[in-house]
Amino acid sequence: MAANFWASSHYKQLLDQEDVEAVHSPDKEKGITLEEFKLVKMHMANYIMRLAQVVKVRQRVIATAVTYMRRVYTRKSLSEYDPRLVAPTCLYLASKAEESTVQARPLVFYIKKQCPDEKYRFEIKDILEMEMKILEALDYYLVVYHPYRPLTLFLQDAGLTDMTQLAWGLVNDTYKMDLILVHPPYMIALACIYIGSVLKEKDTTSWFEELRVDMNVVKNISMEILDFYDNNKGILEDRVNAALNKLALKQ
Amino acid sequence: MENYEKIEKVGEGTYGKVYKAKDKTSGQLVALKKTRLEMDEEGVPPTALREICLLQMLSQSLYVVRLLCVQHVDKNGKPLLYLVFEYLDTDLKKFIDSHRRGPNPRPLAPTLIQSFLYQLCKGVAHCHSHSVLHRDLKPQNLLVDKEKGILKIADLGLGRAFTVPLKSYTHEIVTLWYRAPEVLLGATHYSTGVDMWSVGCIFAEMVRRQALFPGDSEIQQLLHIFRLLGTPSEEQWPGVTSLKEWHPYPQWKPQNLTRAVPTLEPDGVDLLSKMLQYDPANRISAKAALDHPYFDSLDKFLLNTKHDNPDVLLPNDAIVVLE
Repeated sequence: MAANFWASSHYKQLLDQEDVEAVHSPDKEKGITLEEFKLVKMHMANYIMRLAQVVKVRQRVIATAVTYMRRVYTRKSLSEYDPRLVAPTCLYLASKAEESTVQARPLVFYIKKQCPDEKYRFEIKDILEMEMKILEALDYYLVVYHPYRPLTLFLQDAGLTDMTQLAWGLVNDTYKMDLILVHPPYMIALACIYIGSVLKEKDTTSWFEELRVDMNVVKNISMEILDFYDNNKGILEDRVNAALNKLALKQ
Repeated sequence: MENYEKIEKVGEGTYGKVYKAKDKTSGQLVALKKTRLEMDEEGVPPTALREICLLQMLSQSLYVVRLLCVQHVDKNGKPLLYLVFEYLDTDLKKFIDSHRRGPNPRPLAPTLIQSFLYQLCKGVAHCHSHSVLHRDLKPQNLLVDKEKGILKIADLGLGRAFTVPLKSYTHEIVTLWYRAPEVLLGATHYSTGVDMWSVGCIFAEMVRRQALFPGDSEIQQLLHIFRLLGTPSEEQWPGVTSLKEWHPYPQWKPQNLTRAVPTLEPDGVDLLSKMLQYDPANRISAKAALDHPYFDSLDKFLLNTKHDNPDVLLPNDAIVVLE
């Protein structure tokens, strides 16, 4: 939805890194580390993306759903809000808010089909109950801005449209991290363009200079993204399951 | 909801009860709008969610009443939503009434009319830029802060999600006075022009301190309009005679608009005439109205600073175009 980002609740809700990375005490008590917290969120982002592919929604809906999920966990613990239910419910809610509604029944059907693991299985009523709880946790703030549109505009402006696919893919990957909660979307877009231009050996120095943005921030975000790629080479399903088992949610 | 102390019921709007209440922690006054949530097998209706999104986006404008938060309550198993809005002490209807009746009847100051109209056009332009039609602009829906001279649009967009505003919640008949001729004539497709017609009617009402077209039925409403502006013709408004409710009406000649608003300066009459164009395609847009010479003498900066959260502080024109 088009609107002025600066005046939006999204802008006002941008958080500090420390707030995003605080493991809630009920989870801490169960021995969840920060690394595991991040891992679970990343795993759930991937889960949302996989589900979204089968129920066929736009990238935007996926991005909004992942943002909802991440926002929920800045306020609620994994122990109270089972991520295996929160993830599909966020997709369900985002599909409504972004005007490409996915019905609960096929969603539940696909969850069962996708996940052999019993612990991922929920009924329609579970989704609907969780929907209400998520709305509350989000304070009903449902408008989310994403880097995709600024990305397209920037690439056009910089004459780098041949880099669209690469940069778009990088933006998709940023949703595996908490960047969207911490940085304005256009800065994330710029960081992805920066990485892309380095990879493709394009000189964008003067273009970035003309933008007069804080290059330190752009470079820091870029570093975070690159670190993320480094750290998550070969994510092991086992590590995720070990973390989820600590939570001892649904038996 | 225990955070709010209801002070009094301030209205039974088209969509439900409205309470004046106080935020117990901050002491801030708020308006609480109660809305029943029609849940079905698909949970919270997408229309309601979209509406909340819209309200949140639109309430970014200083000229639209701010939605502070949404609260969900279960009352006897029935889900209720409370929309919590900022509270303003009066509305334009009561404000105009207080200048017509009461101990000290007097016209509204021309500079105040100018400022209110400007703020109204700002708010309407903001809604239209998000493709949202208000459809029910009227003085009762324009909240006013008397002290600061602030005007804000309220009751936005609720119509589409929560109920169809044909009959109001209290079965009070929805007023026709501000309804555009294309709506009265049964046009199935209408656009931003419907709101601009209402803005014109409200403008004239601030000047006259009484409604411009006070019809009590759809036909009476049309006749009121025709008597002042003349019966519309095909040349003036292509397609008008094919509209569903078109009949061979009596032929009136247009009157001089100045006679309806004798105290309004010529630039104001010109702007009013552009808002009251029959052909919706010729009607001035809210955005264009803001640039009309009538507003040349308005101190827009001062106006901006009256709002507690002035526009100038926001980097609106930042280099980056965002979604």
